Order: sequence, then C-alpha cells, then structure tokens
Amino acid sequence: MDPSSGIQEPFDLIRLSLSERVFVKLRGDRELTGILHAYDGHMNLILSDVEETIMIVEQVEGAPEGQSTVNIAKRKMNMLFVRGDGVILVSPPSRT
Amino acid sequence: MADATPPPPPPVEVSPPPPPPTNAGSPTDFLKGVVGKRVVVRLTSGVDYRGVLSCLDGYMNIALEQTEEYVNGTVTNRYGDAFIRGNNVLYISAAEPL
Repeated sequence: MDPSSGIQEPFDLIRLSLSERVFVKLRGDRELTGILHAYDGHMNLILSDVEETIMIVEQVEGAPEGQSTVNIAKRKMNMLFVRGDGVILVSPPSRT
Repeated sequence: MADATPPPPPPVEVSPPPPPPTNAGSPTDFLKGVVGKRVVVRLTSGVDYRGVLSCLDGYMNIALEQTEEYVNGTVTNRYGDAFIRGNNVLYISAAEPL
C-alpha cells in the first residue's frame, strides 16, 4: 500500500473530502466548486455554496482550424443535487 | 431388397483443444501491477490524465495523485488528488516500466 495516503478504494478520496470545498468536472463542459455534504455510490452529490462554470465554445465561421472563442458563463447556487452520471472527475482543490 | 448397410459416417474432424487458460497476464493482473505506478488514463472524450494510480475499484473508478490533465497534448489543469468516475474511462496505460 502507498504509505503517503490511507486510501484503499477510490471512494475514500471522496469520503475524506466531506465538508471540504471540491472541484467537480461534469459532462457538457461544466465545472462546479462547492462544499461537499453527501455522496453515494452513483456519485450523486449534495453541494452547497456552489459556483457553476459553463464553457461555451463557438467555432468562428470561416476561421482557420483551432480558431474558436470560448465564452464562460458562471452562476451561483445555494444548494445543489448533482446526478452521478454527469460526473467525470472530483478533486479536493485545496491540495493542488 | 438388398441388405444395404448405410455407409459408415465420415471420420469426425477432431479440432485441437483450445489453449489452456492462463491467469498470468490477465487484465486484472495488469491493473494490480500498475497500482502505485505512473499511468495515463484516457477518457472517451479524448482527455488524458497523467498521474500516479492510487487505487481503483470494480467500476474502474480511479483515484489518481499528482494528476495532470491533457487536452490536445497540452496541460490544462493539475490536481493533487483526483477521483475519476469509471464510466468515462477508455483505457489505462502504464507510463513507466512495470
């Protein structure tokens, strides 16, 4: 076992992040940060004090390949239930 | 009314037996071998995550340490720890000798 972390299974990483601010990457170019209150085996999440970041990529018509503008929309929510199947990645951002 | 005995059936082609199953080199053995090693995890979206594989479970949920996120070959994010939900995983590649 890795001595640097007492993690036996991936969900331990989530369990250790309860009551912490986590970063969540979602399908559809969306990201969340919020305080993690609860989760389950589907990775359904309950977050509070949430900021959602939505990346809207717009390909410029007739522009060369790779030339695109990214619009970023943000919104805040007090309390949020996240359905697990939309989750790609969860990270406790404090230790980056 | 001849007592015509039917012709004997043609000899049955005996196909060689399949090779015996081997446990050495099974996918599970590979995954056990890469825990604690540097890996590349590619998601179905094409995004790569490079980091040290802490552990994984039967759903292929993955815990990574010292994770770097690569989109189109450039680093777009770094995470100290990262949980990747297994349904997004396309493959796990060893990034150092086992």
